[in-house]
Amino acid sequence: MSSVVETPALPRFQPGDYKSDLKPVWCAGCGDFGVVSAMYRAMAELQLEPWNTVVVSGIGCSSRLPGYVEAYGFNSVHGRALPIATGIKVAKPELNVVAVGGDGDGLAIGGNHFLHASRRNLDICYVLMDNEIYGLTKGQAAPTTPSGDKTKSTYFGNPEPSVDPCELAISFGATWVARGFSGDMKSLVDLMVAGMSHHGFAFLNVMSPCVTWRGDDQFKVMKAKLRSLPEGYDRTNRAAAVPYLREKEVLTTGVLYEAHEPSLLDRLEGQRTNAMVGHENLTTEQVLEVFKPPF
Amino acid sequence: MPTRDLTLAMVGSGGDGVVTMGEMMAQAGARDGLNVIKVEAYGPQIRGGESSCVLRMSAEPISAQGDAVDVLVVFNWADFTRFKGEVVPKADAVILYEASDPTPLAEVKIPTATNATWIPVPFVDIATKATGTKAAKNIVTLGILAELFAIPQESVRKAVEFKFGKKKAAVLEANLKGFAAGREFAGTLSVDTSARKLEYVIRDPKLVMTGNEACAVAALHAGCRFFAGYPITPSSEVLHFLSEWLPRAGGRIIQTEDELSALGAIIGGSFAGVKSMTSTSGPGLSLMAEMLGLAAMAEVPTVIVDVQRGGPSTGLPTKSEQSDLYLAVFGSHGDMPRIVLAPTDVEDCFHATVDAFNIAEETQLPVIVLSDQAIGQSRQTVEKANLVHEVVDRRTPNAEELADYKRYAQTPTGVSPMSVPGTKGGMYQTNGLEHDETARPASSHVMHEKMSRKRFKKLDFVEEKYPLFVHLGPEKADIGIVCWGSSKGPVEEALKELAAKGVSVSAFVPRIIMPFPKKALLEYMASVKTLVFLEVNFVGQLYHYLRTLVDLPADTRVFARSGGMNLSVTEVKNRIESVLSETTVREEVRA
Repeated sequence: MSSVVETPALPRFQPGDYKSDLKPVWCAGCGDFGVVSAMYRAMAELQLEPWNTVVVSGIGCSSRLPGYVEAYGFNSVHGRALPIATGIKVAKPELNVVAVGGDGDGLAIGGNHFLHASRRNLDICYVLMDNEIYGLTKGQAAPTTPSGDKTKSTYFGNPEPSVDPCELAISFGATWVARGFSGDMKSLVDLMVAGMSHHGFAFLNVMSPCVTWRGDDQFKVMKAKLRSLPEGYDRTNRAAAVPYLREKEVLTTGVLYEAHEPSLLDRLEGQRTNAMVGHENLTTEQVLEVFKPPF
Repeated sequence: MPTRDLTLAMVGSGGDGVVTMGEMMAQAGARDGLNVIKVEAYGPQIRGGESSCVLRMSAEPISAQGDAVDVLVVFNWADFTRFKGEVVPKADAVILYEASDPTPLAEVKIPTATNATWIPVPFVDIATKATGTKAAKNIVTLGILAELFAIPQESVRKAVEFKFGKKKAAVLEANLKGFAAGREFAGTLSVDTSARKLEYVIRDPKLVMTGNEACAVAALHAGCRFFAGYPITPSSEVLHFLSEWLPRAGGRIIQTEDELSALGAIIGGSFAGVKSMTSTSGPGLSLMAEMLGLAAMAEVPTVIVDVQRGGPSTGLPTKSEQSDLYLAVFGSHGDMPRIVLAPTDVEDCFHATVDAFNIAEETQLPVIVLSDQAIGQSRQTVEKANLVHEVVDRRTPNAEELADYKRYAQTPTGVSPMSVPGTKGGMYQTNGLEHDETARPASSHVMHEKMSRKRFKKLDFVEEKYPLFVHLGPEKADIGIVCWGSSKGPVEEALKELAAKGVSVSAFVPRIIMPFPKKALLEYMASVKTLVFLEVNFVGQLYHYLRTLVDLPADTRVFARSGGMNLSVTEVKNRIESVLSETTVREEVRA
């Protein structure tokens, strides 16, 4: 008797296929390496066609990421990843659109776009690499820098309270909100896969340590604080997430909130389909009819 | 002798129906094939408040709103005084005013109306008696005006029928009674208005549209299928029109959180391969300055319609000015190529916008259409047959180019084939950073120089292919006017009047500001003796900009003044006459 061993067909795209040959400019030990690696694996798991995928960013260390992904990419201007990503997704809904950036880019200069992209609930996965500092401009306080921290721009300590990006996303109307850690690869890949598969605006805040401006031990400190959400956690309850996000001594990761609501594209498509009825192959000539005196 | 050209003005409060009345007459005129230009003005109130409507109807081609009006209808003198200087009756105008107005006629001073015919009309009384409500007084007025000035009677009646046809039969009947009562009242007046009766032959109906609507239709025509915008006066009608028609055409539209997101979104849409546009006014364009640079650097075709209003800052939101030229031409940091077009009237808003899409796609640059409130919101008749314009599409890479695809490949024109997402083998990661041919970030000074040259080379192509300008008047002239945008209309009419008086004057009106048609300007300068700039902005932005491009003669005269009031034909004539008298004095001194 011979047994037939079925060799599973190799997936078409391997994680390495998403890696561009551009060498990252990041410092050795930067948390963003973990994020981009997780992205290669998540894209491979989802078998995203690179040519139908666009990675969009603003400006900052982490915003260099699109250059390192073998797909279409747009490294735009500071704070504006989400408006660009919004335009791409609305104009061409069949594309997979991933937006990436840092905490300064997304929460300070781009804060307003974060609000509106969340509330529109467009099918975009937004990965925010949170290192609690401005890295590219060399070490100034960011909206997520803990109060009291001394940075290049807060010589006497940060006088401002910090914000939590996930709390913002939940209240802004994002329908999938999660927190991950760049040093926890397996969980991070799972979160990215879930975020990229989510129907609607998915927000993933990745704690991504900056070894240069936040100290060598930020990795260790975060790793030691790492916890998972407890069994039975109700991710459909917005309010349930808040206590976990306000913890100081532990860092809880996982999907904090998830809701299933129509995305902006669902709504636009519905309107568009109805609007087109009776106007198939609309010509300029036909449009001009509305300017004729109607009597 | 009857007239072939009649300008009417109507002034009242919200609820008087002034704007509705103007619109119905404009539509009636267009139905009869007349040429019509209609301009509205409002007080600062959001709803209600005073409003005025100036309507010019002519059997001949016209290019400007009437300066001084032949007929003035005033429902309320208190409202009229708020438009002082904006609504000016001719010396022998016919003035119809509410007989029961509390302001005594003795207190009404209209210095221009030296020889006017004043007709008190009990608008409210007639309306109430005929229809049961004073709300119909605008319909009564239509009847009076139709009778006194022979404005398209049959069509006006049809306009009334159309307006109220969908309501209860009693409403339509009442309004038709109001219309008849107006005509009947006019018949009882013993005034001679024969010189102001409009004489014309009925022709095919014309279209009636605003410049903003023309921009919106042009976008559809050019193949625009994505629009992102933020509401701002006086450009919002572009957004409004497209919110209805873009989805019908299979496109998509979003209202963004601000103007820089709007331009950001259309950069995204265009990057994704869909022709995209936004529209705004000066304050929005200020915010877009950042994104303009990105569009130029990443070489993404984008079209931005800027309907100019008075500035700086919030300025005069509802009134026209030509003061965004510097911002459009120079705005955004770094060495940034861009194209700036300047439509001259409603019809030209259509052509300029299609050109903008064509040039944007051909050059992969941001193109700004510098319209202004005076054409954006004025309603004019347009011949449908004129609204045709060739459409150019994007240069995408062929199979051979995709084999070793370089997004920013150096080419003789500077334009590189642009791959769109979805194309296998055409992948690239673009950048607001300086980059090399493959879009990889590059900060060497050598590459920066090379890529700057590539980006600017594209302007040479545009200057060569699109030397857009209009030359008005004789081939050679003593005086040569340089003006742009909505100023073309009054200049064109002034030129005709001046020519009739034997004045030798022509005009050069650029329809593209950047890159400027320098060759055409130099040739024009050689055809005139004295150059006169007429601009509706305080500093003379076009004049100063052109001084950076060509050597303008030292005796060039510049008449630049702030906006808020559109250039008038009289103003143009006065300026030219003042130059003439100075020149005469100078020549006499020389002699």
